[in-house]
Amino acid sequence: MELLKTLQELNACFGPSGEEKEIRECIRRIAPGRIDEVRVDALGNLILRRKGSGPKVLFAAHMDSIGLIVTHIEKEGFLRFGNIGGLVAENILHATVRFKNGVRGTIVPDQSADRTKLSLNDLYVDIGAESEQQASSLIRIGDTAVYDAPANLAGGRIISPYLDNRISCIALLWAMEQIGESANDLYFVFTVQEEPGLRGAKPAAFEIDPDYGIVCDVTPAGDQPGSKHYGSSSLGGGAAIKVMDTSVICHPDMVDRLRALAEAGSIPYQNDVIVRGGTDAGPIHTTRGGVQTGGISVPCRYIHTPQEMADAEDVTHCASLMAAFAMSRLPARS
Amino acid sequence: MIELIKELCAVPGVSSFEDEIRARIEREIRPHASDVRTDAVGNLIAFKRGAKRADHPLMITAHMDEVGFIVKKIDDKGFVRFAPVGGIDRRTVIGKKVLIGKHRIPGAIGLRAYHLVSAKEEKIVPDIADMYIDIGAADQKQAQSLVSIGDEIVFDSDFVEFGDGMIKAKALDDRIGCAAMIHLIQKELPIDCAFVFTAQEETGARGAFGATFSIRPRIALVLEGTTAADVPSVKGHRRVTCAGEGPVLGVMDRGAIYDRDLFERLRHLADNRGIPWQTKRFIAGGTDAQAIQTTAGGVQVAAISVPVRYIHTSSSVASIRDCHHMVELAEAFIHSVAEDPGAKSE
Amino acid sequence: MSNLPTLLTSLSSIPGPSGFEHDVARRAVELMRPLTDEACVDGFGNACGILRGTQPGALRIVIAAHLDEIGFIATGVEQGFLRFSTIGSVDPRMLPGREVTVMTDPPIPGVITCLPPHVLSEEEMDLAFPREDLFIDVGFSHEETVTRIPVGTPAVYRAGCFPLGEDLFCGKAMDDRACFCAGLLALEMLQNAALPHDVVLLGTTREETNFGGAKTGTFALDPDVCLALDVTHAETPDGGPKNTDCVLGGGPAVGYGPNMTPRIRDALIAAANAENIDIQREVMPGKSYTDAWEMQVSREGIPTAILSLPTRYMHTPMETISLSDLRATADLLVAFLKQPHGEEVAE
Repeated sequence: MELLKTLQELNACFGPSGEEKEIRECIRRIAPGRIDEVRVDALGNLILRRKGSGPKVLFAAHMDSIGLIVTHIEKEGFLRFGNIGGLVAENILHATVRFKNGVRGTIVPDQSADRTKLSLNDLYVDIGAESEQQASSLIRIGDTAVYDAPANLAGGRIISPYLDNRISCIALLWAMEQIGESANDLYFVFTVQEEPGLRGAKPAAFEIDPDYGIVCDVTPAGDQPGSKHYGSSSLGGGAAIKVMDTSVICHPDMVDRLRALAEAGSIPYQNDVIVRGGTDAGPIHTTRGGVQTGGISVPCRYIHTPQEMADAEDVTHCASLMAAFAMSRLPARS
Repeated sequence: MIELIKELCAVPGVSSFEDEIRARIEREIRPHASDVRTDAVGNLIAFKRGAKRADHPLMITAHMDEVGFIVKKIDDKGFVRFAPVGGIDRRTVIGKKVLIGKHRIPGAIGLRAYHLVSAKEEKIVPDIADMYIDIGAADQKQAQSLVSIGDEIVFDSDFVEFGDGMIKAKALDDRIGCAAMIHLIQKELPIDCAFVFTAQEETGARGAFGATFSIRPRIALVLEGTTAADVPSVKGHRRVTCAGEGPVLGVMDRGAIYDRDLFERLRHLADNRGIPWQTKRFIAGGTDAQAIQTTAGGVQVAAISVPVRYIHTSSSVASIRDCHHMVELAEAFIHSVAEDPGAKSE
Repeated sequence: MSNLPTLLTSLSSIPGPSGFEHDVARRAVELMRPLTDEACVDGFGNACGILRGTQPGALRIVIAAHLDEIGFIATGVEQGFLRFSTIGSVDPRMLPGREVTVMTDPPIPGVITCLPPHVLSEEEMDLAFPREDLFIDVGFSHEETVTRIPVGTPAVYRAGCFPLGEDLFCGKAMDDRACFCAGLLALEMLQNAALPHDVVLLGTTREETNFGGAKTGTFALDPDVCLALDVTHAETPDGGPKNTDCVLGGGPAVGYGPNMTPRIRDALIAAANAENIDIQREVMPGKSYTDAWEMQVSREGIPTAILSLPTRYMHTPMETISLSDLRATADLLVAFLKQPHGEEVAE
């Protein structure tokens, strides 16, 4: 499974939070290796199980993406929108977006808005319609749109929209390819609705009731010029082993276990503490009586902009570490 | 419908003080339900058998509670200091009439007379912590004999029909939804339904968690009141919804993204029956759906809401036609689900 | 056990910020073991002590007090100084020049930096330092710091407790280990009570971040009644009647509001009146920011109440409580638990 091609294939799928059907079907199609059970739950989470007699391990990577939702059509044919997940006005200005039906538009500001204090309420999507009537023939209120930008390689790095979280989905798919013999009962869950509030993982984890959880997401790197160090990891520094984000503090035993596996497998890794941003690990670790949960993340720059950046080697290392965990001998839950 | 809404709005029921409104609702529904109970947080849960059995009943909910206030302390001069329960815009609070505690002691949320206020001051609204309620007590001791710390404080506002089919009252959010549920439970239904009158929605959908956990529905329909800002000074999308233009079908709010398939189903049902409908032009607010959707193994959620102007104030306003349409559409939804559950899970 | 200052000091001194409560939980279990039928650290890391009731199938009442404290976590190294973030809500005004303990093995002492007056402008002098401009000085070279203190290592305020006057006691983590001590005192007093119902003292984790311990611990125990013990603000010269209704020495505060089920709250008040225990009242109109917020909505919902210990200077290293309030809290717990609880939960 080659990185750029797979990323382009996933990005071609429409999958903003709440409408993950296309991306779910794509992942289901390309998921490698032995899969004993496939389930789609009430919210649309994709659960792929590889049975084992040992402890249950839940691997989670969210497949939904941020996007826009049309809330109102102005009489001049411009579209007002709300955010699905975290959008910042200055990051999306003049981005190209595409709707599920292929209609494209660009995000533009209200001409009298204060450019120094732009908010989402100051923005419209211009789909080239001349009137409300023409716009309504192309788009309905409630329709959603995603970034329409290319994925490219740049040196050993990749520039693309939706590395959050398609790059992690690929890491998990690569891990599924690499996992050989394992006594553990493995659940590979591609979750929904993470972006608007970590919603899909909660019922998925409740239903599975795992002994361990590993979440694969991107994590903000702190290695750009003028960085305020909201994240401690760097591109190329290896798999980011999560210690803390705003939704979870990973149990020290889990962090130690992952570090030991990385050392034993000579997998480059770095310790990851971020000050902004939560992940599916949040709802998973407080499921029922609690689940020992860790995070293996791909360090990423410019998250939630149309062009995010990650290091290709880091993705490989994340996959290797996840595979190592899947194959490791794990104690039964106390 | 109007009479029922009028009666329900008159009953006090600030979040966590739902005993009276619950009793009133229970009286209405008991003859029509096979099983009625109250749970630990105070939800009223009624099962109604339908023509078709269901492993997982269709859950239909509306919240019983309204926003209001709670007595924090009685100061040394006999004035009552208070805090809001649920989201209340403090700019709508001054100068309103309230009723305090079980004995419904009347009070006025007082303020310094306009003549005594500087031009600068009149532009600023004080914090609720600085406001006070005058119950006409001579001193602290007398006040303490009338009201107590922790007492419920509810808006005192009557029911008025005015204009072209418009109604004004406190607590239209969500006594309208409760009235709709009472109408529905009296009908012959095609499928087993669980009618949940939730408690403490206004303080964070608190009742919905436990009710959903015990019922474990596959599908839930929330009947609510939602903001309408269709007044002249508000333009375009900021109007959110418009009173009189039909019930609002839930697409997305700050608490939940509603199930797409259920939204499409509601849309088709409404179009086929000539029921007007609208969606929110601005993503804001939340309903019990935010608790229901991710409880236990997950639930597909849908919402039908009536636009309410001046929501969460003592004088909220809605269109009675929207209320009728809500019931009509909800009933159509129940029949549609009975025929074709369209279950998501595989 | 009865030497309260010693007990408080021993619990306070163990570093245990949210997520890293292992040592505190272990100590809590050791303290509960002689007082309960079963004491252990549960699957999530909470300390759990069960005093079984005499009646089979009797009610289960859970008393929760959180063991975690606020703290810091290392996020990087710059010129040998530790860059850090906070765990829980840390008052930034407390930080400049503050002594901390970095939780390596063995622990490393450090000082949070501050700029001397002569490099600050007059306007800057009036403002609290933004956290991003502060570092922890551990006194090592850059390489030493990188080796000894990996990113993700937690830290806490340096320990130290002391009495103030006759009745007050001051130190870090009184929030909420002082309440846990009240729970221990109550268990001590219940040793021969032979109550019909189960009593569980749950030392929860992660209260300061996401109430994770209360959520999971309550789910696992599946109780019939929950009572959260936490601290509440007591009056200070600059935080008077507008901010709080409680004073040190006025007794524990019973909570009123949506997070507290009226009949459980009323049972607490009845118990206080019967035993002549002075209580105060605290109205919480919305989210209580205590373990009770999660406990109340566990599973199908649970009748819940909150009892609070008045505290000055919350979330600083000098949290101050009244020892007589603490003892009164324990007395009230005992009186409440000795009441019959069958009829309260009957629907």
